[in-house]
Amino acid sequence: MRFGRRPHLHLEVEVSIVHVEGVRKVFGQGDLAVEALRQVSFSVEPGELMALLGPSGSGKSTLLLCISLIQEPTSGLIMMNGQKIYDNGWTGIDVRRFRRENIGFIFQAHNLIPFLNARDNIGIALEINGIKPKAARKRALELLDYLELSHRATALPATLSGGEQQRVAIGRALANSPSIILADEPTAALDTSRGTKVMELLKRIAREQRTAVITVTHDIRMIEGFDTIYHLADGALVADVDPSASHG
Amino acid sequence: MDLAIKDVQRHVGKFVATIIGVGLLMAIVLIMNGIYQGNTSDGVWLIDNTATDLWVVEHGRGGPFNEQSRMAEESRESVAAIPGVAKASPFITYTVQRDVAGREQHFTIIGYDVFGGLGGPGRIVAGRPIAQAHYEAVADMKIGLKLGDTFRLGVHDYTVVGLTRKTVDAAGNPLLYLSLPDAQEVLFDQDNRALERTRLAETQRLIRAGYTSSEAGRMLPLLAGGSGTINAVLVKLQPGAEQQFVTEQIERWLYFSVYTTQQERSLMLEGRLKKMGAVLGLFRLLLVIVSLVIIALLVYVLTVEKIRSIATLKLIGASNKVIVRLILEQSIVLTVSSFLFAWVVVQFTYENFPRTVVLLPHETVASFLIFFIGGMVSSLVGIVHALRTPPSLALGG
Repeated sequence: MRFGRRPHLHLEVEVSIVHVEGVRKVFGQGDLAVEALRQVSFSVEPGELMALLGPSGSGKSTLLLCISLIQEPTSGLIMMNGQKIYDNGWTGIDVRRFRRENIGFIFQAHNLIPFLNARDNIGIALEINGIKPKAARKRALELLDYLELSHRATALPATLSGGEQQRVAIGRALANSPSIILADEPTAALDTSRGTKVMELLKRIAREQRTAVITVTHDIRMIEGFDTIYHLADGALVADVDPSASHG
Repeated sequence: MDLAIKDVQRHVGKFVATIIGVGLLMAIVLIMNGIYQGNTSDGVWLIDNTATDLWVVEHGRGGPFNEQSRMAEESRESVAAIPGVAKASPFITYTVQRDVAGREQHFTIIGYDVFGGLGGPGRIVAGRPIAQAHYEAVADMKIGLKLGDTFRLGVHDYTVVGLTRKTVDAAGNPLLYLSLPDAQEVLFDQDNRALERTRLAETQRLIRAGYTSSEAGRMLPLLAGGSGTINAVLVKLQPGAEQQFVTEQIERWLYFSVYTTQQERSLMLEGRLKKMGAVLGLFRLLLVIVSLVIIALLVYVLTVEKIRSIATLKLIGASNKVIVRLILEQSIVLTVSSFLFAWVVVQFTYENFPRTVVLLPHETVASFLIFFIGGMVSSLVGIVHALRTPPSLALGG
């Protein structure tokens, strides 16, 4: 099941959804300069599940911010959906619009808007993208149905369980049929059982909708079945970890 | 989807409490506006509603309201003899604090020539004007007397024969109209102890002058003066008479000071009312500033409470317009609802204020515009904070 159209994607030709090449990020100058990312390169294909592991301060958040197009790298190349977004400088693309149309976000703390119910939390992402309110409500309900949360459509976030909140957050991430989902510690606030269910859902989405999922996590137990696992240490991708070995 | 309204719906109780708080503050501003206008309105009411062309007072004095003016009652005849004067009437005004209608209260007695003289009550809402030389009164309803009531002033009882409404002196005290001799008696007649002191002093003076004690006692009644003092003479000019000419004649030949009604108004507005007006104006200004600062703080707090949601909205691609609209709309809802609440509160309470409250529609509209525009400008603090919030704030625990 895929919701909506993806205008920038040509699925006939399997191109990298995300292509990162030689990305560096340096904070500060001179003697105080800290290199948070060192020549990071990787590619993610449609439907691929990628995990980014690493200890605190390894550069995971900085990398996530760079590929979220929130933080400008110091140098390198970032391509998404075949479009050059950053090539040693922003290429002039409207990054906010690009993010809106192509990237879905899932957060550690769910970050649902507390004064909107489950349906409206998904609907707002659609309305922000120019979908009319009526159509947005319809699509939001379809997504809630897909996430098996139809019965909680009018519930406010405060009345939802942690797992339900994260599923609504996934619904919001899926609202505009993004080609990429960036998940920042999506299971950190959940117990193992709920966390596993959320990760199963992300895997299902990747398989069914050919959406690339990039997950930053500390918990190696949650990435069973991921296609690619990268390990970041001191700002560098040190090795591709063998998924079977990582949880074996 | 209107995010601002959704947020308000989610926190109705908090918003209502905020609106009540800000609304009461705005109500105070509106009441202060009304008191400011009421102060001016009261200040000149008696001047505007005394149908006279000229106010003749003791030389060099600033009129019967701003400053005490004492003139002999016979001055009236002298003024009446000036060419161009159609009518000249004696006038007395003074404020007393007496026990009337069951309570101690402050009111102003107006004494006038009840037989066709100037300075009497303009519009009587119940009863009739004073028709007898003594012991009748016309009272403002605020004093609490009713038609036919009798009350004691000094040594006599007076009967209320007429009632007026909203007739006040410059301080907002209600008026009580009496005939000139009655007013003079209430004002100038001394109490027993004062009389004794006066008589003793007169007796001692006569004895020092060489009279015996019994001779002095016999002469005392001859020395006792009447209460023929008035505060002003009101003048109505003959048709075609030149005001300037009459004024000059009175000032030159009778050695009095003369003011037109317009000059009396100016004396009042520039003198007695000026400082009070300035104080009230300053209070109004301070209250408006305080209200706007509070609105700004409230909008800022409302924004800070939502800052993570705002960061999330920005991260998922919301334009600045969406964020600005969220904050601005809440500011508008807060300001408009608070003002509406304030307006309703004022409409239901202003009649009960001890001072006259005059609500001018254009001033209410101006206040609304000041609050509305000020509220929007105040919300800039929240808007700037929201727009500066990085979307990255949404990431991480």
